[in-house]
Amino acid sequence: MGFFSSRKIRFVDADILIVGGGFGGCGAAYESRYWGRNLKIVVAEKANIERSGAVAHGLSAINCYMGMRWGENQPDDFVRYVRGDLMGLVREDLVFDIARHVDATVHKFEEWGLPIMKNPETGRYLREGKWQVMIHGESYKPIIAEAARKSAEVINRIMVTHLLMDRTRANRVAGAVGFNVRDGAFYVFRAKAVINAAGGASHVFRPRSVGEGMGRTWYAPWSSASAYALLIQAGAKMIQMENRIVLARFKDGYGPVGAWFLLLKAFVTNACGEHFEASMLEEMKALVGKYAETAPLPTCLRNHALLQEIKAGKGPIYMHTQDAIDTHEKETISWEDFLDMTVGQAVVWASQNIDPKETPSELITSEPYVMGSHATCSGAWASGPEDCAPADYQWGYNRMTTVDGLFGAGDTIGGSAHKFSSGSFTEGRIAGKSAVKYVMDLAGSPPQVDEAEINRLRDRIFQPLATYAVNRNEIVAGSVAPGYLSPLQGLQRLEKIMDEYVGGVSMFYVTSGPMLNRGLELLRMLAEDLEHLGAEDLHQLQRAWELHHRVLTAEAVTRHTLFREETRWPGYYYRADHPKLVDPDWHVFTASRYDAAENDWQMSRLPVHHIIA
Amino acid sequence: MPTFTYMTRCDGCGQCVDICPSDIMHIDPVYRRSYNIEPNFCWECYSCVKACPQHAIDVRGYADFAPLGHSVRVLREEAANTISWKIRYRDGRVKAFTFPIRTTPWGSIKPPSAYEAPGADAMDSPLLAHEPAALMVATLPSLPPFDPKRG
Amino acid sequence: MVFTDNPFIPATDFLPPSYLQAYIVLMVLAVVAGTVFDLHRKRSAEFFARQQQRSRVAAVRQLSGAEMAAIAARTLANEVATSGEFCNRSRRVSHLLMSYGFVLYLVTTLVLVFGYPADPHTPAVLPVLWNVGILMVLVGGYWFFFFLRVNVAHDGHSPWRLVRADLFIVALLASVTFALIFEVVTVAQNTLANRVFFGLYILFSTLLFGSVAWSKFAHMFYKPAVALQRRLEEANGSSDLPASATAGEGRCPPSPT
Repeated sequence: MGFFSSRKIRFVDADILIVGGGFGGCGAAYESRYWGRNLKIVVAEKANIERSGAVAHGLSAINCYMGMRWGENQPDDFVRYVRGDLMGLVREDLVFDIARHVDATVHKFEEWGLPIMKNPETGRYLREGKWQVMIHGESYKPIIAEAARKSAEVINRIMVTHLLMDRTRANRVAGAVGFNVRDGAFYVFRAKAVINAAGGASHVFRPRSVGEGMGRTWYAPWSSASAYALLIQAGAKMIQMENRIVLARFKDGYGPVGAWFLLLKAFVTNACGEHFEASMLEEMKALVGKYAETAPLPTCLRNHALLQEIKAGKGPIYMHTQDAIDTHEKETISWEDFLDMTVGQAVVWASQNIDPKETPSELITSEPYVMGSHATCSGAWASGPEDCAPADYQWGYNRMTTVDGLFGAGDTIGGSAHKFSSGSFTEGRIAGKSAVKYVMDLAGSPPQVDEAEINRLRDRIFQPLATYAVNRNEIVAGSVAPGYLSPLQGLQRLEKIMDEYVGGVSMFYVTSGPMLNRGLELLRMLAEDLEHLGAEDLHQLQRAWELHHRVLTAEAVTRHTLFREETRWPGYYYRADHPKLVDPDWHVFTASRYDAAENDWQMSRLPVHHIIA
Repeated sequence: MPTFTYMTRCDGCGQCVDICPSDIMHIDPVYRRSYNIEPNFCWECYSCVKACPQHAIDVRGYADFAPLGHSVRVLREEAANTISWKIRYRDGRVKAFTFPIRTTPWGSIKPPSAYEAPGADAMDSPLLAHEPAALMVATLPSLPPFDPKRG
Repeated sequence: MVFTDNPFIPATDFLPPSYLQAYIVLMVLAVVAGTVFDLHRKRSAEFFARQQQRSRVAAVRQLSGAEMAAIAARTLANEVATSGEFCNRSRRVSHLLMSYGFVLYLVTTLVLVFGYPADPHTPAVLPVLWNVGILMVLVGGYWFFFFLRVNVAHDGHSPWRLVRADLFIVALLASVTFALIFEVVTVAQNTLANRVFFGLYILFSTLLFGSVAWSKFAHMFYKPAVALQRRLEEANGSSDLPASATAGEGRCPPSPT
């Protein structure tokens, strides 16, 4: 339409396009520059790489560090630990690959200026726990962003909405499209390889706080599922989308508990002062068999224990901080723990007159999230390391998805759990090197974008602006208009559907076949309604596309949850119609592939190989 | 605990607009100063609070669960590589902390292209940049070939 | 000669000097009335007094008269006289050009209209300074308008998109632009043109001084007051900001963007 004819269009040609400038993207930028000195490498970042992504506040610990140099841990041990935490279902090759490289990443972080706390007796990094070390991490992201800016061209404020496919060869990526959130320019990235390092999914399930407080989700509100939706749209095979994560954290502020449990050795009781976790062992064995004896107790089972206690009316559940910090040093570390990464919890303390030296704090389980970089591993089915992955786990380039030339790092990659910040950066490095190899191997036959597809996408991307402007004429004022849905309205409907039918907090994470099918019906109508999203301005347009990505991901989550007919991870979610863990039938990865042209989902199973004894 | 901007301190410089990871700090059309347009998408990451040269941005805990009368304020000083916090409780107690944020000067990271370019051997190996030296062990761990009959 | 002759003389062809003087008095009253009305309507004086009271109560140490005087002097020298509050150099320079230019223009206007109302032998220095003031406002102002306004430079607005916050800068630029155009047009000695452009000059000047209650004009009075208050709070310990780890130097943090 003539209305858009003045819209600027900017073409950016790159050898490697990195979508997302978080830890995964920064790692990809650094490593791809190291191996591809003369390549054109571009990072398209939705916000500002200086503070974007999940590490915006900073972090108080690095949760993935082996300490091989001091003989503290070996990668094999890490694989066993992660496998145990996920009740057996991880890509052991990918986890091993992260674990063997991550120490180098952490040593480079220290060299760059990240202050890592030291154990005064041994001189080694101060361990928070077996895999974790404590850091003064308020500027963790700015330090890493400096490394990325010195490696690649970073374009901030670009929302990437779709990947582009090669018109000369099926199933090969050719770039991406999106828009500049500040000036509304349409961006077309033409690239030989694309590394998706975008964020996982918050705000797919209704959060516990629903007013202003909905901003205080545990995972960043700007993790809008682009890690998944961009790939799902492109037809990549996804795994474990049912493996959502629920976290037991300090209530409302969702402050971290790792340092409290592992370093400060705090304990948790119910309102009567009873230690309840140990007494649930028999009950858990009835659900998950021998997995209940895994040490350390899997994260989901710890959640399960807390949930059962709350359901029995024995809450509030308290972390006895006052018994754990008996020195000034411990008090200081406990405050820094929050101030380095979740200032909001310090605000809760200050606002409710809670001094951790005197008063215990409540714990709660969060609403569910979908991610691949923390204790769970939803994401793309990816090729593993060439030197040690089983034959059916690799097809040539490490961390390449089932779409040629499309790589992933961080939340994007499935089966690769417990990466956290250092592991995501490391996975970015792995993908970066692989992408360079891929580009060099392409030689003279780069992918070609489809101009008709680009024009179609341009109209589609900016459509919500027109929908709002035109349909606004129907009403006098206000937020209720029959002709369009605002992004927030759509988001709240999504969150309600997922909460009520797919196992959110209001259902104590319980769902069933009939509930999931009803959820799919409602999600289908929501997806149709997305065609009527109305965006008042560019900020709302960004929210509109974030919603698109969340809704598509939510459908994947629902279908995977329906497909897996067991309860593998009680404490993350429960299939009331299949309440137990079922080995060997379900000792598999669930997989899906979405065909956008046919609007059709194909579900399948993929084998879980235990490479490590 | 979403953010808000003090009328008397903001001079409309735009640093908060540039830094906000959520794209929610924007410029008010009446005063040409910043304000939080979407507190329900504010993570209280404090990026804007730390970036503001006039200390014009502060946080009031989310109304859903944070009683009034508290304050958690910050001063980030890159020159000293420190961050200082001052916390005032609703009941008036005050706590203050200072922590380090970096051990090297800003801008000092050696770019990857400043290192000697890797050879073809390294390209074909599983080694990443600076390995195995940066691992601080002799060799990169690997695994024996996978035997499907075992697992 | 143009630029060295009293620019108001041609206006006296169709307006008695006493009308020009009365207009100036009216505009001064409009600024006072507008500021008072704004303070009253927003109850901002009440708010400011309450903040001062809180600061006194929360003060860790009481400041002596001499200390307060020294702080006031520092505020005058730094924030007021040199716009030292601005961390961005371009904004600081453009603001200084506009504020000193405007003051110069206003003072010379007063002297010209009250001291030399119809005098063909007005000392040339006065019209020259009047023009210098106007030029400073034009350079600082158009630079600000097209390139430095934060909603344009950082928030993606087109410079042609006008919002309520633009009322002051647009009225200011229009007023002094038409003042200059009027002065140049008088060379042609076309009575209609003179009346039209003088009329436009007066129209936008009236808008500028009359819209004080709705524009950012009054901030020129509020800003020094709050700058002083901020320094006092830092000095008497009532500020809720943490103490600096570097003894306070480097107030403007480097921007990563």
